[in-house]
Amino acid sequence: MTAVLVIEDDDRIRLALLLALEEEGYTAYGAASAEEGLRRHQQTPADNILVDLMLPGLDGFECIRQLRRDDDVPIVVVSARDDTHDIVAALEAGADDYLVKPVAIKELTARLRALRRRARAGTAVSVQVFGDLEVSAEAGEVRLDGRPVAVTRTEFRLLCELALHAGKVLSRQQLLQRVWGYDTGDERLVDVHVGRLRQKIERDPTNPRHLVTLRGLGYKLQR
Amino acid sequence: MNRLGLRARVTAAFAVGAALLAAAMALFSYDLTRRSLLEERERTAVRAAFFDAAVVRSGLDTDAPDIAAVLGSLDTGSARRPLLHRDGRWYARSAEIRGSSVPEELRRTVSSGTPAVQRVRADGQPALLVGVPLSATVSYYEITSMREVEETFQLVALTLTAVAIMVAGAGAALGWYATRHSLRPLTAVADAAERIAAGDLETRLDPATDPDLTRFSTSFNRMVEQLARHLERDRRFAADVSHELRSPLQTLAAAGSVLQRRREHHDERTAVAAGLVADEINRFQRLVDDLIELARAEQPTNREPVDVAALAGEVCHRHGLPADLVRVVPPGAHWQVDRRRVGQILHNLVENAVRYGGGPVAIRLGCAGDGTGVIEVDDDGPGVPVPDREVIFDRFVRGRAAHDRARTDGTGLGLALVAEHAAAHGGRAMVTDRPEGGARFRVELPGCAG
Repeated sequence: MTAVLVIEDDDRIRLALLLALEEEGYTAYGAASAEEGLRRHQQTPADNILVDLMLPGLDGFECIRQLRRDDDVPIVVVSARDDTHDIVAALEAGADDYLVKPVAIKELTARLRALRRRARAGTAVSVQVFGDLEVSAEAGEVRLDGRPVAVTRTEFRLLCELALHAGKVLSRQQLLQRVWGYDTGDERLVDVHVGRLRQKIERDPTNPRHLVTLRGLGYKLQR
Repeated sequence: MNRLGLRARVTAAFAVGAALLAAAMALFSYDLTRRSLLEERERTAVRAAFFDAAVVRSGLDTDAPDIAAVLGSLDTGSARRPLLHRDGRWYARSAEIRGSSVPEELRRTVSSGTPAVQRVRADGQPALLVGVPLSATVSYYEITSMREVEETFQLVALTLTAVAIMVAGAGAALGWYATRHSLRPLTAVADAAERIAAGDLETRLDPATDPDLTRFSTSFNRMVEQLARHLERDRRFAADVSHELRSPLQTLAAAGSVLQRRREHHDERTAVAAGLVADEINRFQRLVDDLIELARAEQPTNREPVDVAALAGEVCHRHGLPADLVRVVPPGAHWQVDRRRVGQILHNLVENAVRYGGGPVAIRLGCAGDGTGVIEVDDDGPGVPVPDREVIFDRFVRGRAAHDRARTDGTGLGLALVAEHAAAHGGRAMVTDRPEGGARFRVELPGCAG
């Protein structure tokens, strides 16, 4: 049973989400604030976390940052705010996906399933080397100059997908499809994750050498 | 109705004013010149006539004078022609001039002993006739041609007319030049207004440029600030409304899905009710999404290079349609458009075709020579009647095809959004007949290079 933690201050929304998730076969439990959510996740680690952005006390952005500090649990933001600014800020804080309320339950469970999927075994050559960068699909490891780099599951899947097609351009839509399982979706998701990944695998993230942008086309990982 | 521009009107006023002034000056100078020249010429002619008369008198002072010789001895040049009336007979130096040239009235005056002067026409030429009585029966006349003077007058008139025309032209040029200077601030305003219309609400006029225009610049700037405030308020309102509507919708969506899942546990009537609730939640959600989108439609576009063909392919995929519906002519065109908006245009047009037109039969992406990207979606449905073709792009207006289907679940905003997104790009949306039957929706978006 997959455990889902719902951090949402609106009692009715939380209750309805918990009911609906349980109906879909998840073990769901809720928290009415970021503090309570962090505590509950520490006591009983969840497999997925849903977070609202506007929370009393600690807000959603800070909550994501604290969860991300030592955990790669997939985090999905479910917020009524759909400002580009909020979306990018939440993704940069470490969220894996961003959904704008109201989310259909079918859509929500599809997202959770997609995030739980690990990088498909055997899709990538076990170890790929890109100069000082090393991606080991099977070990689930990324090394820069031989030192391991901590990446989230989503970042790792993104990197593996790019490594599998090393030297080829992948469009944002292709990446959305292959990494997030979206038929069509918000491309900012890809952009922000690429940005976060660059912070970790590039010596100079503003002038990337491994993960390069091809304007209007997409991204590619260079050997 | 006056359709002339300010500049043309000022220029015309300058030209007319200058022309009037120049004409008045010309007429005045012409009159003055003419009068003094004529007087001068007449004085000379009279003096010469009296002198010639004296010569004639002394020549006739013999018993049997040879009149022809006397007249012939006069040094008159070509301009003056002598004529003698003696004892009821006329004598002239040549046949071309006769006594009939002298008006009867003048002859009588001169015969009575009074010298007289009159302007006449001789051989169709203006001339001056001077009559000098020599004795009771003898009078001397002299016809002086004024042709040269008339020619001088014509020349003067011509010159003055030319000067007047040139002055009028100079007036027009001055008006054109002066208005260009006084209209320059308006050009700055027009530029500023265009930038504001393009979404740059930071644009302001510099009130310090011209002291005479300070008040104008200040009110213009205040207007822009008001506008920016209104837009910001609207934007915030849309954001607040969207938040306030979306939160309860989330509860409804989640609770609705529980009802759906448990349908088999309900009795028949409850199951139907649960189905209705779930369907309406879906529709309500789409309506809210479209309304929020519409409230934001007027915000500036975010143009970037977009692979519109791929976008159209995704839309087809999402609707379960074959990707070969999309035809790109010519291939390899580069679109510089707002990805999200164009995606929505394609989505809404395809959805419209699916809902009301029996599904799209072709999606064409073209690029006109003038840089206009063209999106056409054809369907095989009943088409859109001519009277509906404008209003179908209005909010909450559904075409007849939509009304025929009682179970329509569209929001009535899809095509309005298409039109708004097209307008945001500076383009437009329209619908015509597909030649083979059905409707052809066409969207034109500037921002394409072949």
